[in-house]
Amino acid sequence: MIAPALLDALRQAIGVPYVLSRAEELMLYEFDGSALDQAVPEVVVVPASTAEVAACVRLAAQYGLPVVARGAGTGLAGGSVPEQGGLVVALTRLNQVLSVDPVARTAVVQPGVINTDLSVAVAAHGLHFAPDPSSQRASTVGGNAACNAGGPHCLKYGVTTNHILAATVVLSDGNVVELGGNAPDAPGYDLLGVMVGSEGTLGVITQLTVRLTPDPEAIRTFLAIYDELEPAAATVSAIIAAGIIPAALEMLVGEGIAAVEAAVQAGYPDDARAVLLIEIDGLHDNLVVEAERIAAICSAHGARELRAAADEAQRAKLWAGRKGALAACGRIAPHYHIQDGVVPRSRLPELLRLTEEVAERHAIKVVNIFHAGDGNLHPLLLFDLREPGARERAIAASEEILRACVSVGGTISGEHGIGIEKRDYLSWIFSPDDLAAFAELRAVFDPSGLLNPCKLLPMGSSCADIRHARGALKALERGAWI
Amino acid sequence: MHALNYSLNHLTPSAIVTPTSATEVAAALQAATAAGHAVIPWGGGTRQHIGAPPTRYDVALDLRGMHQVIEYSPEDLVISVEAGATLGAIQTLLAANGQWLPWDPPLPAQATVGGLLASGAAGPLRLGYGAPRDWTLGMQVALADGRLVRSGAKVVKNVAGYDAHKLHLGALGTLGVIVEVTCKVAPLPAERETLLAVFPERRAAVLAVEQLRVTPLQPIALVALNDSVEAMIPALNTFREGQPAHILVAARFAGTAAAVQRQICEAARRCAELGARTVELAFNDDEALWITLANFSAPTRNDALLVRVAAPASAVMNMARMMERVPMVRNWPSARLLLAGVGIGYTRWEVGGIPPQEQLAALDELRAAMRGIGGYAVVEEVPTALVEGIDRWGSAPATLELMQALRRQWDPAQAINPGRYLVP
Repeated sequence: MIAPALLDALRQAIGVPYVLSRAEELMLYEFDGSALDQAVPEVVVVPASTAEVAACVRLAAQYGLPVVARGAGTGLAGGSVPEQGGLVVALTRLNQVLSVDPVARTAVVQPGVINTDLSVAVAAHGLHFAPDPSSQRASTVGGNAACNAGGPHCLKYGVTTNHILAATVVLSDGNVVELGGNAPDAPGYDLLGVMVGSEGTLGVITQLTVRLTPDPEAIRTFLAIYDELEPAAATVSAIIAAGIIPAALEMLVGEGIAAVEAAVQAGYPDDARAVLLIEIDGLHDNLVVEAERIAAICSAHGARELRAAADEAQRAKLWAGRKGALAACGRIAPHYHIQDGVVPRSRLPELLRLTEEVAERHAIKVVNIFHAGDGNLHPLLLFDLREPGARERAIAASEEILRACVSVGGTISGEHGIGIEKRDYLSWIFSPDDLAAFAELRAVFDPSGLLNPCKLLPMGSSCADIRHARGALKALERGAWI
Repeated sequence: MHALNYSLNHLTPSAIVTPTSATEVAAALQAATAAGHAVIPWGGGTRQHIGAPPTRYDVALDLRGMHQVIEYSPEDLVISVEAGATLGAIQTLLAANGQWLPWDPPLPAQATVGGLLASGAAGPLRLGYGAPRDWTLGMQVALADGRLVRSGAKVVKNVAGYDAHKLHLGALGTLGVIVEVTCKVAPLPAERETLLAVFPERRAAVLAVEQLRVTPLQPIALVALNDSVEAMIPALNTFREGQPAHILVAARFAGTAAAVQRQICEAARRCAELGARTVELAFNDDEALWITLANFSAPTRNDALLVRVAAPASAVMNMARMMERVPMVRNWPSARLLLAGVGIGYTRWEVGGIPPQEQLAALDELRAAMRGIGGYAVVEEVPTALVEGIDRWGSAPATLELMQALRRQWDPAQAINPGRYLVP
């Protein structure tokens, strides 16, 4: 039970309507985009300024309450699920684009601005925000930064961290600091570099200066269609090896293609074994040459057909299909567990084969729809939670696939984050010394250990302290009712 | 190897350690920390002029024996190397596979990858390809207590763990010594060509560099420089002959032949509109020019003061004006190089015979002006007379306390490069 005095103080700090504490209000904040982890917060605040966020965090520190920052809740690893209870800081009211500098190609935004809305807001200047996670119509720029989000176009334009120039951050004691800046390479450690991707464990981001990218002069989008899996995967390596870095190079495999087509009718061939969605952009002089070379590579690798998007509408449909793939796969099974391993691109063929073998062995459906150009796999394990043992089989299959990614020199997450879901896998890729250094870094920023506790790092000693101290308030077990 | 080769500001180490493995680096650091010794990590020594002189100096830790390529698979566009490998050696290996690291810091043949990253070096290519930070996927670092720790990964995308390796960029080793680096690499562009344009004065040149970044132009490098810099480049002698004082703009384009040609033509048109005379350098000619330009910030060991300034992109016009004005009102010859679009400038003042107090006053004036536009000034190379008496880094950021806490965490005895960095 939350202390009434704390509730009063929070209400005083940010206004009565913006402090949520009734059970039916709190339920809305118990989950993120993954189906596996849920936990109810003790209180939710919806502040409207950096100062209000700071006031709330300061009060939480005073009462020893964990603080979990939350954007749109589209995360896929449990990062914004308040597993240890405590205070959820919902940043959705901080949703303004504060300024745009078209000459410097930067924008100052609040963290709750939705990714797509930012690109729409700067479109008149011929600019856009390059990171484009598939959740971009819902996910927030602050959440993108906290998770160092990726997206199809990161292949050419780089992940979110390359596009964040500065951040205003509330630390765990309520102090406000400015990290990074508009003047490049200012003396001092790159604190911004560790804040981005820290999943709310080092601070709460309340304002961002982002880099904007000029719109390309021309874009060409192709769909390469294959009857076999290996040639499609081999095409990916061949394009990169030929010295072409497409703007995006995505792959859809198996049953997912038909599901996507059923959802968007974009012309994805529902009988194909695999398709590649290939996009190149830049000066049209370059594209002429690149398009010819890509066509030659696809055909040399046995593509059944190479289709070009005829116009922007067709291109938009193809992308709607790709970015809506997770939802479309609801047609196959009601629940999913999505993985995010990365492997060297040259190892894609064997990993794709392996995901299918593993899924079959665990009697789980798998659909692979992923960022092939980056070697970033997204095996989507589909199941029905109501079926006894399905969840456990999905997790077992997923662990086996991730272990395989690690064994070929890859990593356990390319863009979704560690959160709750993958924290215990970190020791597969990092030594005890590596993990100790991470914990030391975290303690420098957050000596109290109250910021998003027990996330991102394995359940270590500092986390155990929090759980012990909070006794009965630990995560509540809930039945799966979604 | 002689200890004198490792002298810094009259301090000479009592021991030289030349590790050939990460474990040996870690052991050396552990021993130094235990004994209360101060360690200066060395690569090629091309950047030892950065930072204040060390306050203590016992051990020179020369990492050049660690120059192995650990892993390189061209089809994955990823390379892992030991930190003591020179950038030049890596570029040679990559070029044989049609690839490169699009970095062009000074003196790549001598400079080691670890040293370049630890000292925050970059060059003009940063405009088109981003800073080395964007290409660094992971590191192994030896902490002062002898632990070897990794962050990042050996694949192009990774969000597991904190991006702790970013903390070591530009930190002069004060949080640990980089022993291994993994980088993303890029295909070499098919063609590279450079447009040179001469402008009668600074304002037109700065307007031009803004115009040269507007669609469809996408230069991979873009610099503006004054005649003193230009005089350092023999290739330009015929071009500059008979010209009065002026500003030169160099814009480098890359891509397919057609795309490069179209951009060169459009760039030439825009420059002509602003009153410039232009000339084009084809691929084979332009390499030497860009190497010279990148080397501008290399140490000269003359009695000159080299200052790096930076400002937000929107304030670059003002920055260029300050770079010109501060030495000009004092009648000091100055060589000035502006990395346009990046927001970084270098200005070297020839101050032989000028009293130190006057030099410091000029620096204060430049710093105040840069602060006024949201920028800063860092002193990179100083005349002998000023080595001890000059503030290299300027005022500390408000986050200094956090930075100090990090240093206390990972090098509590201040064993590595004591006194040299902003966080001493």
